[in-house]
Amino acid sequence: MERLIVIWCPGLLEEGPRGEEARRFARVLARAGELCPWAHPIRLGVVALPARGPARFFGGEEAVVARLAAVIGAFDEVDNLDDLADVEHAGEEAGIGIADGLFAAMLAARSQLIVPPGGTADFLAPWSVATLARPDLAVTLQRLGVTTLGQFAALPAANVSDRFGADAAACHAVARGESGELAGLCDRAIARRLRVARGEDPDRPPDALPPPSQPGFFGGASEADARAARSIVRVQERLGIEAVLIGRLRGGRDPAGQSVLVPWGSPDPDATPSPSGPASGAPWPGRLPPPAPTEVLQVPRRAELVDTEGNAMVVSGRGLLAAPIDRLSVDGGPWEEVAAWAGPWPVTERWWSVRRRRARLQVVTTDGVARLLCSERGRWWVEALYD
Amino acid sequence: MFAFPTTVAAPSPDPVTPRRPPRAPRELPAGLADRVRPTTPVAGRTLPVPAPLAPLFPSGSLRRGTTTIVSGRPGHGATTLALALLGAASAAGSWSAAVGLPDPGVVAAAGLGLDLRRVVFVPHPGTGWAEAAGDLLSGVDAVLVRPPGRARLTAARHLTARARDRQAALVVLLEGAGSWPEVGDLAIAVGAVEWEGVGRGHGYLRGRRAEVRVSGRRAAGRATECSLWLPGNSGAVAPAGSLSDGAA
Repeated sequence: MERLIVIWCPGLLEEGPRGEEARRFARVLARAGELCPWAHPIRLGVVALPARGPARFFGGEEAVVARLAAVIGAFDEVDNLDDLADVEHAGEEAGIGIADGLFAAMLAARSQLIVPPGGTADFLAPWSVATLARPDLAVTLQRLGVTTLGQFAALPAANVSDRFGADAAACHAVARGESGELAGLCDRAIARRLRVARGEDPDRPPDALPPPSQPGFFGGASEADARAARSIVRVQERLGIEAVLIGRLRGGRDPAGQSVLVPWGSPDPDATPSPSGPASGAPWPGRLPPPAPTEVLQVPRRAELVDTEGNAMVVSGRGLLAAPIDRLSVDGGPWEEVAAWAGPWPVTERWWSVRRRRARLQVVTTDGVARLLCSERGRWWVEALYD
Repeated sequence: MFAFPTTVAAPSPDPVTPRRPPRAPRELPAGLADRVRPTTPVAGRTLPVPAPLAPLFPSGSLRRGTTTIVSGRPGHGATTLALALLGAASAAGSWSAAVGLPDPGVVAAAGLGLDLRRVVFVPHPGTGWAEAAGDLLSGVDAVLVRPPGRARLTAARHLTARARDRQAALVVLLEGAGSWPEVGDLAIAVGAVEWEGVGRGHGYLRGRRAEVRVSGRRAAGRATECSLWLPGNSGAVAPAGSLSDGAA
């Protein structure tokens, strides 16, 4: 469950008769966004943002809460004298809370508490089952004498599922602190409402507006990092977290092992940033010399290498080819004439095991294309291309 | 709303006339003020490129807001060249992105100068490749996009306009199935190539020499040709004599 910070604005939870709330909430969101690029509207009056990054950057969760409170503190300012009627909302301070999971974090914000990690179930226990926002379930539970989330959590999970159904089972998991989110917490239309409130075209995706200069989260560098982060997050929202990757170097012999691509935003197990040179740290024995191939296939392609007689190339136990290579075919495609090659280089660590014997070849065909091939169990695969 | 940068501007080389902070703009109409981007005075109008590639550009560097098209036959080094264009800027601190490069070689990218901490790859954007490139043009300094097929005119124009508007550099890589309907500010084409270092069962791939030809609107009407190592032995691009010169 993700640890979340929630900002809860009691006066902005519903649209009033003058329709001011959406605009004022947009201002709150904008101010929270100045501190953290991932501030996200959950529904009218409620903002959520991840706790980990800001806490690391500002030096602790209390520090983040203090910064947020300072930045959004004056959200109830009125725009002009005509809004004085709204002044009854002024003085209702926003609540800020932190907890594991969105449901608990929202309640924590209402109480202005930081719930320690793992303390979710204890924190939720005294709250009423009405907080689940399921009136039918709440009435049924209350008739059974179950009025608090703690009492609900104490019921056996299988019984809840059988008796009340899947949605209640999800609520049950939340009450136990095992799950963080619940259907119905988020208002899907809030983004559109906010665009209308800001006077933007509600159907056109908003442009990214860089915030006023302030330090970003990543290496304490500049607004450039925050600006890049926002655009990256937008692509991830559209295409999925796995769609945007960042590369990291690591030790390894083969091109696939020398680096790894992970989703942007993944935690880095090494505290030190990866160096920009290809040879990080001590040279790795058996590694191919540079230059490295520009295309490293995640899924190697089947290849066939034959000599002039059409016999398949085989790497002997002594790491030699029986005859010169004549032609190459990839994925059953047309045969191409081989102009030059280098290797084979056995992957020595597993050479004693015939079954696991592998060897590498660099092959250049007459059209000038260079490929890295690997043989394993008598079959050849294209591992990488030098494009 | 004008934003003053938090980083201190580099001191002017002339000690007598210190650099002055930028002036705030005039008052803008209320509705417009929220939508105007702050200027980026410290960024400059160009991005550096690796020294061997400087001769390809009229100004010796990659101009922000422009579209550069890099083309070549598959497997002939166009990808190396396109990545190399981003290398110096990345090493100097710029963020960059590569959209539509399936199976990117991370070690190769690092060898070409890219700082992996500030490069993101979107290898499989699917049909959303143009939107992804557009989103990233709003946030990073340089975007390399490899269209998977024929790019529609509206998409191409949208991306070119976004690059200009956001003052980012757009590099379009065409090799194989991809195509682009416009000329671009600069077009760099990889021609004949030759690998060195590999024989009939000995040596290893040491470098690829390539003939590179530059043309386009910003080439001031003339076409430039040069020879480059794409890449050289170290993994970076390097200048080369012409292919007819024999081994360097």
